[in-house]
Amino acid sequence: MTDASAVMGQMDKPRRKPWPAELNALIGLVVIMAIFEIVGWSLVGQSFLMNKLRLSIMITQVAVVGILAVGVTQVIISGGIDLSGGSIIGASAMIAMSFAQVGTNPRAIFAAQGLVDLPILFPILVGLSVALIGGLINGALIAYVKLPPFIATLGMMVSARGVALWYTKGQPISFPTNEFMALGDGLMPVWIFIGVAALFSLIMKYTVYGKHTYAIGSNEASARMSGINVERHLMLVYVIAALLAGLAGLVLTARAQTAQPVFGTMNELDAIAMAVIGGVSLSGGRGSILGTALGMLIFGVIFSGFIFLSVDAYYQNMVKGAIIVGAVALDQWRQKRQAMEA
Amino acid sequence: MKKIAIGAIAALMLTTAAQAADKKIGATVSSLEFTFIAVMAKGMTDHTGKLPGVKLQLEDAKNDVANQLSQVQNFIASGVDAIVVNAVDTSATQAMTDAAAKAKIPLVYVNRQPINIDTLPDGQAFVASNEVDSGTLQTKEVCRILKEKGKGKGANIVVLVGELSNQAAVQRTKDIHDVIATPDCSFMKVVEEQTGGWKRDAGQDIVTNWISKGVKFDAIIANNDDMALGAVNALKKNGISTKDIPVSGIDATQEALKAMQDGDLAVTVFQDAVGQGAGSIDTALNILAGKKVEKKVYIPFQLVTPANLKDYLAKN
Repeated sequence: MTDASAVMGQMDKPRRKPWPAELNALIGLVVIMAIFEIVGWSLVGQSFLMNKLRLSIMITQVAVVGILAVGVTQVIISGGIDLSGGSIIGASAMIAMSFAQVGTNPRAIFAAQGLVDLPILFPILVGLSVALIGGLINGALIAYVKLPPFIATLGMMVSARGVALWYTKGQPISFPTNEFMALGDGLMPVWIFIGVAALFSLIMKYTVYGKHTYAIGSNEASARMSGINVERHLMLVYVIAALLAGLAGLVLTARAQTAQPVFGTMNELDAIAMAVIGGVSLSGGRGSILGTALGMLIFGVIFSGFIFLSVDAYYQNMVKGAIIVGAVALDQWRQKRQAMEA
Repeated sequence: MKKIAIGAIAALMLTTAAQAADKKIGATVSSLEFTFIAVMAKGMTDHTGKLPGVKLQLEDAKNDVANQLSQVQNFIASGVDAIVVNAVDTSATQAMTDAAAKAKIPLVYVNRQPINIDTLPDGQAFVASNEVDSGTLQTKEVCRILKEKGKGKGANIVVLVGELSNQAAVQRTKDIHDVIATPDCSFMKVVEEQTGGWKRDAGQDIVTNWISKGVKFDAIIANNDDMALGAVNALKKNGISTKDIPVSGIDATQEALKAMQDGDLAVTVFQDAVGQGAGSIDTALNILAGKKVEKKVYIPFQLVTPANLKDYLAKN
């Protein structure tokens, strides 16, 4: 955790404009794209980037995890961590989908109760409510029971996955209404991501909520002394994270046109990785939604790039891991250098 | 309480022993909560219902290894003639094998391959569908369709692979390459292969990426139906007709059958749960009758195409 004097130091007029962490991610993104572009021309004989369809799929395929990552980012900025996002995606996707089924499917979950062909608002509210419950429990355990966020959300990660599996005893749920499917159709996931990211970018920068989140993440004790209701605020942070996970679950299930209990598995770690690559510090108090968005784009570019070059999935994961570690190592080195110059 | 219960069980055992001529089979399945297992269990009960003089006692192990072992021990104690086990944990089968062998009661494993498959003693067997068949059937049918379309001179195939850690994914993918290696289907060439981890959205994303690259392909072969349906989505979104590019999956899920009805999915493969259930009973009876039984009894996978689709709509 950054200590109070350092925060104060940054708030003083800096002698030199600090190198923003987002710039690293941006440079990384450009370098990776350039590599794929050059290798693409020499190996595949075509441009990697000058391709409208590829550009759109690059973003679409990571948009759902991107929505999750926005929520995770503000949790990490507050000095915490949220491991439950992927499982909350699974639980909210399953339960929401059961209220989004068409009546022509005789095996629809609530066909007997006549709860089919419902207006889209219904599954959306159900899905978000499921997430809300998860978020309230997370928040209460962390803010009031004082459990470490890692433990509290680890518990939720296991339990929410249990809910997703229990709900239909492991069976997938399918055949949603057209209206519901539209939520994940085409570029819709991207628009939803952009909306969420833009909104939270503004919130984190310009509102009391954002300023308090940074303050708590930088130094919880001094935030408390300056009169911030830390408990209530952390509660809100985890509820928002869970709601965004719920939204991601809705978009994912609409896009896949089916809900399966394993949905979202490992997505929480991808989301954390996106944030970290984007310069969000795991010790709290530093980072931005823009950085996370750049981290998300790096993931999307790598995924498409490897398929573009027909590289085995095995290598894909190895490289992904190396990039995550490399990004943090670079960030550490940069921080140390800055501290020495100051 | 316990003594009364034991007394009651003992009384039950006596009454069953009285019907001496009957063959009694005890069956324990991993969990009736899985649709496939439930259908398989129904296959067992329906089949024994048709066989005079055969009685079936069906138990649900509720996904608990210890539970299943004690069910098998209870079967032995109550003197059943044969035991059928759909193992909860395939690595925990040795204890059941030992118990049945010691009591000299035939034991048949069904659907899930026991870890001690190669060392099963006499009087024990394994009934299932051979995973080699599913990928083979699927690929041969795609091969046939492509020839019919006049592409027998050369056709490009793209492959969507399931979870890399899963044996079925590895086997099904190997089957594809094995079929392509035969002279009959050697005109097919795998141009792209990626893992979609069984997932529909991943299948859609990967195929979209291929389309963006301008990969020219004549057919899509997926390790399961979900990825195949994702591929169908990707084709449609990009204005490619599923009439031109046959897409094939495995599992014959409800959605896959619906997609086939709509003309979007060309091939899927059905794993015969009912057949496996009935086959396990038959195998147990064959062992009892002293017939020679193979250690591995295979119930064939069945190819599902638009031609025989209607036979399968109500099955899964």
